[in-house]
Amino acid sequence: MQLSTSEISELIKSRLENFSTSAEARTQGTVISVTDGIVRIHGLSNAMAGEMIEFPGNTFGLALNLERDSVGAVVMGDYEHITEGDTCKCTGRILEVPVGPELIGRVVNALGQPIDGKGPVNAKMTDKVEKVAPGVIARKSVSQPVQTGLKSIDSMVPVGRGQRELIIGDRQTGKTAVAVDTIINQKGQNMTCIYVAIGQKASTIANVVRKLEENGAMAYTIVVAAAASDSAALQFLAPYAGCTMGEYFRDRGEDALIVYDDLTKQAIAYRQISLLLRRPPGREAYPGDVFYIHSRLLERAARVNEDYVEKFTKGKVKGKTGSLTALPVIETAAGDVSAFVPTNVISITDGQIFLETDLFNAGIRPAINAGISVSRVGGAAQTKVIKKLGGGVRLALAQYRELAAFAQFASDLDEATRKQLDRGRMFTELMKQAQYAPLSISDMALTLLAANKGYFDDVPVARALAFEAALHSFMHSKYKNLMDKIETTKDLGGDDEKAVEAAIQDFKANNAY
Amino acid sequence: MADAITIVRPYAVAAFRLAKEKKTLPKWSEMLDFAAAVALDPQMKAVIDNPKVVAGDLERLFLSVCEKKLDKAGENMVKLLVEYGRLALLPEVAQAFEELKAQDEGMLEAEITAAVKPSDSEVKALVKRLESKFGKKIEASVKVDPEIIGGIKIVIGDTVIDASVRGQLQELAYALKG
Repeated sequence: MQLSTSEISELIKSRLENFSTSAEARTQGTVISVTDGIVRIHGLSNAMAGEMIEFPGNTFGLALNLERDSVGAVVMGDYEHITEGDTCKCTGRILEVPVGPELIGRVVNALGQPIDGKGPVNAKMTDKVEKVAPGVIARKSVSQPVQTGLKSIDSMVPVGRGQRELIIGDRQTGKTAVAVDTIINQKGQNMTCIYVAIGQKASTIANVVRKLEENGAMAYTIVVAAAASDSAALQFLAPYAGCTMGEYFRDRGEDALIVYDDLTKQAIAYRQISLLLRRPPGREAYPGDVFYIHSRLLERAARVNEDYVEKFTKGKVKGKTGSLTALPVIETAAGDVSAFVPTNVISITDGQIFLETDLFNAGIRPAINAGISVSRVGGAAQTKVIKKLGGGVRLALAQYRELAAFAQFASDLDEATRKQLDRGRMFTELMKQAQYAPLSISDMALTLLAANKGYFDDVPVARALAFEAALHSFMHSKYKNLMDKIETTKDLGGDDEKAVEAAIQDFKANNAY
Repeated sequence: MADAITIVRPYAVAAFRLAKEKKTLPKWSEMLDFAAAVALDPQMKAVIDNPKVVAGDLERLFLSVCEKKLDKAGENMVKLLVEYGRLALLPEVAQAFEELKAQDEGMLEAEITAAVKPSDSEVKALVKRLESKFGKKIEASVKVDPEIIGGIKIVIGDTVIDASVRGQLQELAYALKG
């Protein structure tokens, strides 16, 4: 850890200046029992729900159960030093985390304390972890796109700014890869990203952070990490803490993207806390309010209108809408989406991206099942050019699936059917994309146009991706102006379309692939 | 402790209401105090905790020890506690009863801890200020504890007013740690 001495002295000086020695009346209680991070306290008659409770040794807890004679609190962090008979105090504060641009590029824990060894965060503001989502009046419909840079998602399940799009699939199907690719693609898109890792291995989190750093994505990303070894309380709190950090940008007329990886682990952590607090278990032993922990979290991802932003910033930011886009991740067991937590989150979100093991193993990566992946609001936000060109993809894949099952039994097929099968096979191939290689809008448009117009028809399926890569590099070197125009206007007029077609013909005539 | 108070409260509240209705609060207070002292006696405690002692014998023994100190209602209270197997909680019942009584009389118990023994006039002035702050009569007990280094610490129920040097040093330590 690097700290300059002047910095420390300054810090201490300001703290000493602000330190007041006035005696304040505080409510005190006695610890009755400590069991697996849950502390029962006698007294504390004035404790608020969700209030921070101070234990000896600068440890804090969160009051979750307020009962007639006792308070049930969950300790955030180590609890080994707390013993029966210890006195604890009410702090009068609801849990807060630091917020603001100072957090960008940092890795923090669920309480906002830095864990990346880069010194203190120095955030100027803090904000409450649990907040109520903006109401109906404050909202605006989703109309701007989030470019994920993945062909299959941007063309088939587009995500808009302020949307909640669920990423769901079994273990090892590339859920995190989709989320991380999306973060990487936000470079230069005026988007602040927050990656919340819940209950993951510390090594996995370190890998994600390294990949984000390698791809220059930490310049606009905050990582909130509650690793598998952290207490259940921290794993439960991490999504709310990350959400509060994202809301800072939303409320100030900026755009933010938050990834909760994954909410299944959060539900499990909450189940542990609830059972230890002796709350009655329900289905799959989850407590009765497990739906509410996710719904209140995901409601906070929203697009807010100009009036809300203006009012919030007291007129400093005018005429700008803010948004917080959420990409929650849910892990299913053996593809069972009818388990408790997956069904809950599916019903809360505005659509879902299904990732399947079979597709993943067949080499189709990202392993998106086009049939059951949907986006309920993203269509209104899709980029014009992608909307125009990508409309056929879903249809071609749907027809292909239907025919492919049928064609297995038929020996010879008529010309039209064979053509449709070939086309479906080609689209399936073209939807494949390497990890950490998001595509720009112009590249994506180029691929889709070429596929739609049949320029891929005489390319062998196995060579399709090589052809695509060669085409992209050819276009960027020879027709740079045209590509830049598509990138900036995000549209493809009639003349431009002809120009692009001519360019593709030029490529096919003069280049090997 | 919290579990005991949950069990004990109904007994204490019932006794308190009956006493208030019949205007026998001091008598009840006395009875419960005495019975609690009996229940706390080591020999009696051994009998109460002994599972081999039949409820009827325990009742007779306990009442014979208390002799004339209990009136009819008091005896019934003991019988009831024996019947429900809660006789061991009698001291807590007495304590809860006293708390209810103090609350009813508008009394608050304050425990004042100081590093050096304060003078009577100081305590009086302090009690007066506390009474105006809480709007209730304060019954103060003074304790001397050099551990707190300096200043005073007042505990009233759940509320703690910590103006001790030790507490302030602790605050400073937390503030510096951030």
